[in-house]
Amino acid sequence: MNISEKNINSYKIISLQGILNASSVPVLKTCIAGLPNTQSIVVDMENVEFLDSSGLGALVGIAREKKTSNAILKLARMNERVKKVFEITQAYSLFDIYDDVSAAAEA
Amino acid sequence: MKTLIVIREQEYDWLFDMFPGVHPLLVPICNKPYIEFLIDFSIFTGSDAIRIVSNGLLGDVERYCSTGSRWGVDISYGSMQPADSLHTVIEKNRRFCQEGRVMIINGFLFIHYDKKSDYAALFASLPSGELLSCNHGSIEVTGTPATEITVNGTRPLSLTALDSVSTYYHLSTDILNNGLTYYVIPGYSSEPDCYIGRNVIIPKSAEIKKPVIIGNNVQIMANAVIDSNSVIGSNIIIDRNSIISGSIVMDNTYIGEHLEVKNKIAAGNLLVDPESGTSFVMEDPHLLTSMEQTKSAGTLFRRLVHSVTALLLIILLCLPYILMRPILGIQGKWKRKKEQYYTGQQGKTFMLTMTTIDCSAPIGALAKAISLDRFALLFRVLIGKLALIGHQPVPVNPAIKIIPSSKAGYRPAVFSYAEAEDWPEIGIDTEIVEHYYAVHGTPLKDIAMAQKALFNRTH
Repeated sequence: MNISEKNINSYKIISLQGILNASSVPVLKTCIAGLPNTQSIVVDMENVEFLDSSGLGALVGIAREKKTSNAILKLARMNERVKKVFEITQAYSLFDIYDDVSAAAEA
Repeated sequence: MKTLIVIREQEYDWLFDMFPGVHPLLVPICNKPYIEFLIDFSIFTGSDAIRIVSNGLLGDVERYCSTGSRWGVDISYGSMQPADSLHTVIEKNRRFCQEGRVMIINGFLFIHYDKKSDYAALFASLPSGELLSCNHGSIEVTGTPATEITVNGTRPLSLTALDSVSTYYHLSTDILNNGLTYYVIPGYSSEPDCYIGRNVIIPKSAEIKKPVIIGNNVQIMANAVIDSNSVIGSNIIIDRNSIISGSIVMDNTYIGEHLEVKNKIAAGNLLVDPESGTSFVMEDPHLLTSMEQTKSAGTLFRRLVHSVTALLLIILLCLPYILMRPILGIQGKWKRKKEQYYTGQQGKTFMLTMTTIDCSAPIGALAKAISLDRFALLFRVLIGKLALIGHQPVPVNPAIKIIPSSKAGYRPAVFSYAEAEDWPEIGIDTEIVEHYYAVHGTPLKDIAMAQKALFNRTH
């Protein structure tokens, strides 16, 4: 799992590349832990090749933490493979999902 | 041109109770799923990409519409939160909306259009902004007009908000009476106001009055009357001497004998009065007339026929059973499961051992083809506990509230009518075919059906 970061407006854009599963979740969590609690995040999912329940659980956990700190976690550019997981688990209702990273960082 | 369809779950959730099992966006209007009307309209406006956005689950819609290749358009799906404004939804779909013109259909609306009008030219020339609106939604256009042409005259478009069963019913009847030529309606139409689908059986004694729409796989029995203003869906049996008048019969519904369905919506075992919105659930799974069969000489003769046929099958299968059963047992390909099943008598149960044979090896496939897995059950036919052919035995399940009984035609059997007709062995279609034969079966027909069931198992 490769993670790259950049800033757009007040948002930290975290671009994920590779597989988000039990073995790569700690990498994502470490990356998020290095940011202030109040930092709003957009996770760019375009290059996520595979997402399992651990990966989804990690995203839900991060979204909860951000909510309690009055920050926001948004997801952007989900590909079809990732969309399928969200569809099956009905996780759509938990996230604000954008098809464009800059739109997510501006809204 | 692109189309963004935004429909919130709270706008259509009233349909979940009304027509359970069908996604509200797929509820048929004149036998055409609602979403297809929107797709058609989008295509008429010149759209080559459509995005359907909702905060509700769109899995069923996605499975039905897929990528849109059936219509020659690119269909994608998006999500939103219930409280999102239209502006937020557009922002969430910025990549989709940012290039070219976008028509935004916002709300659970029916768009009245005319397929013969040139909406592509109209929408290409319209200025950005709201085109039409009603109290439940609107149609907007964004992006700069592609042409400088000004289209004069009234726009041949109007909206109806689908907010109640009454609106739904009146919309269907309005289309049936005045608008069939405006839309692409499924079915074959050799004369005006009459659309008939595939595999529709209409006997000479049945009467059909226009305007009418009939779906696919419909069986209309003798002396049945389909009066004007009726919409008959797909996979439907209208039994003898029944009258359907000004009504909508939804897919997978059985209308029993001597019934009059007037100005109603019938969906499975649900009958809805569109004016008051009241609905009631029939006790049996379909709109059936009384099916209780008395212990007459005919019933005894039927049991005798079943017993004799079962005895013949036992004699025939005895040798293969003795030869193949031990081999399959040693290979671990003969699996048995004991379970409680409902008998034909209300609430009573009995224990049955069901056998499954692993067909991966040729010997297993052969054993299944000659129905050795049913061999032990044939002895139950001899003692009258099971019929040779009838319903699939229903296992005792506390989650099932409707307990099958002979009053609803239930007759547990070794072979099921669904197997004989090669229908899928689960689902409402199976119930329909089994109920049909429960009413219309005769001892001789039973032998023929048992033969068919045996033959179908070889496939």
